[in-house]
Amino acid sequence: MRDNSAIIQTIGLKKYYNGESIKAIDNVDLSISRGEVVVIIGPSGSGKSTYLRSLNLLELPTDGSIIFNGVDIADKNVDINVHRQKMGMVFQHFNLFPHMTVLGNMTLAPMKLLGKTREEAEAKAMELLRRVGLENRADAYPSQLSGGQKQRIAIVRALCMEPDVMLFDEPTSALDPEMVGEVLELMKQLADEGMTMVVVTHEMGFAREVADRVIFMCDGKIAEEGTPEEIFTAPQNPRTKQFLDSIL
Amino acid sequence: MKEFFQDFKDEFILNFVDGNMWKWLVDGLKNTLIITFFSLIIGVVIGIIVASIRSTFDKNREVYRRRGGFFYYFQWCINALANVYLTVIRGTPVVVQLLISYFIIFSSSRNGIGIAIFAFGLNSGAYVAEIFRGGIMAIDHGQFEAGRSLGFNYFQTMMYIIIPQVIKAVLPTLCNEFIVLLKETSVAGYVGIMDLTKAGELIRGRTFSAFMPLIAVALIYLVVVVVLTQLVKILERRLRKNER
Repeated sequence: MRDNSAIIQTIGLKKYYNGESIKAIDNVDLSISRGEVVVIIGPSGSGKSTYLRSLNLLELPTDGSIIFNGVDIADKNVDINVHRQKMGMVFQHFNLFPHMTVLGNMTLAPMKLLGKTREEAEAKAMELLRRVGLENRADAYPSQLSGGQKQRIAIVRALCMEPDVMLFDEPTSALDPEMVGEVLELMKQLADEGMTMVVVTHEMGFAREVADRVIFMCDGKIAEEGTPEEIFTAPQNPRTKQFLDSIL
Repeated sequence: MKEFFQDFKDEFILNFVDGNMWKWLVDGLKNTLIITFFSLIIGVVIGIIVASIRSTFDKNREVYRRRGGFFYYFQWCINALANVYLTVIRGTPVVVQLLISYFIIFSSSRNGIGIAIFAFGLNSGAYVAEIFRGGIMAIDHGQFEAGRSLGFNYFQTMMYIIIPQVIKAVLPTLCNEFIVLLKETSVAGYVGIMDLTKAGELIRGRTFSAFMPLIAVALIYLVVVVVLTQLVKILERRLRKNER
């Protein structure tokens, strides 16, 4: 059952509410290998966000295993904080820390958790800021940034921890349309550099272009998975067809 | 007109200058400020602890229950204790609490000011706790998640990310609590402490003239409160600056 080539794998993952009456995630097996870009799509309420959030235990699964770098992090005796350092997460609403500057946001965790000095942390942060073309905003506060800038900062904040995998929870859903492109462009760059990514999104263009594998979730289960080509041009499951017809 | 001023002057001399009674007011004010200041410090410490206990339990109930066993019951008991404290303190008048402290809990001690600081501190802790808890609950849950997803544990997330934002948010309310407390300590005279109010009363008892000492006491309270309010405004402006 264990897939040793996988960087992250879920086995029989379940998340139930109210006993067994609501099955947000229903027995999901999935294994994601190093460098792979997996895009999860599906109608709202299908459990895709819950699934993504349970990968770093922001949602506690009811049952099942999550193997990350060979360790079952769903085991209650595992110190999840250590493993979360290696899983970057990007949220729909950015969640930058409003009381800190951009640089403060990016250097807090490396300094407090990785024991880096301020100089080291700031050097790394500035290098990443230059990459995304925001080095002149290093001393700005989040409230002074546009939505697209906030999300790009949120992405590089996660990268400052040098994660093994990046989780994206609808990263462009809260953005004005003209700012979606800059964020997707950065995510595409990351994918090209070989970052392992799990992305929940409604951006089908992105899924088609960047994903190695597309997962269609429905009612807490994986209804269909395949290459973008297979899913978008020849979906097998009628639910997938119906969903794609309704949004494209 | 001249008579009025002459009367005013006589009254003033009678109430404040004769027998150096103005010094009583100064001592009284000093005691009032000492009691208020240290009570608030105790209150803030108790408040942060109690608020942390309560919001920790509320936010992590699911995790604790899952882990189960002794740890869950320990947390449950601590949380229940905190609730009892809040209910008792907020459900009884501060004068009664002060009297109980003075005549029952510390009946063998006659250090009035120390006992008053204890009683007012314990009292204010309950109100500060609710202020802080409100502040913690008002922070967007995404801030917790962002902190946790970077690898911070619960307490690091609170310390580096949540509490700094909470303090900024509750500072005006907290200073308001200080001002309320300053005025509340005027009941300290019940247990024989010479605070500002009691000083005015003593002067009145000595001179049989009510107007001057009581109005003077009122004015002193007013000036202190107005000055404090202004300081809070300046502080608030400072804090808000770095968000723009």
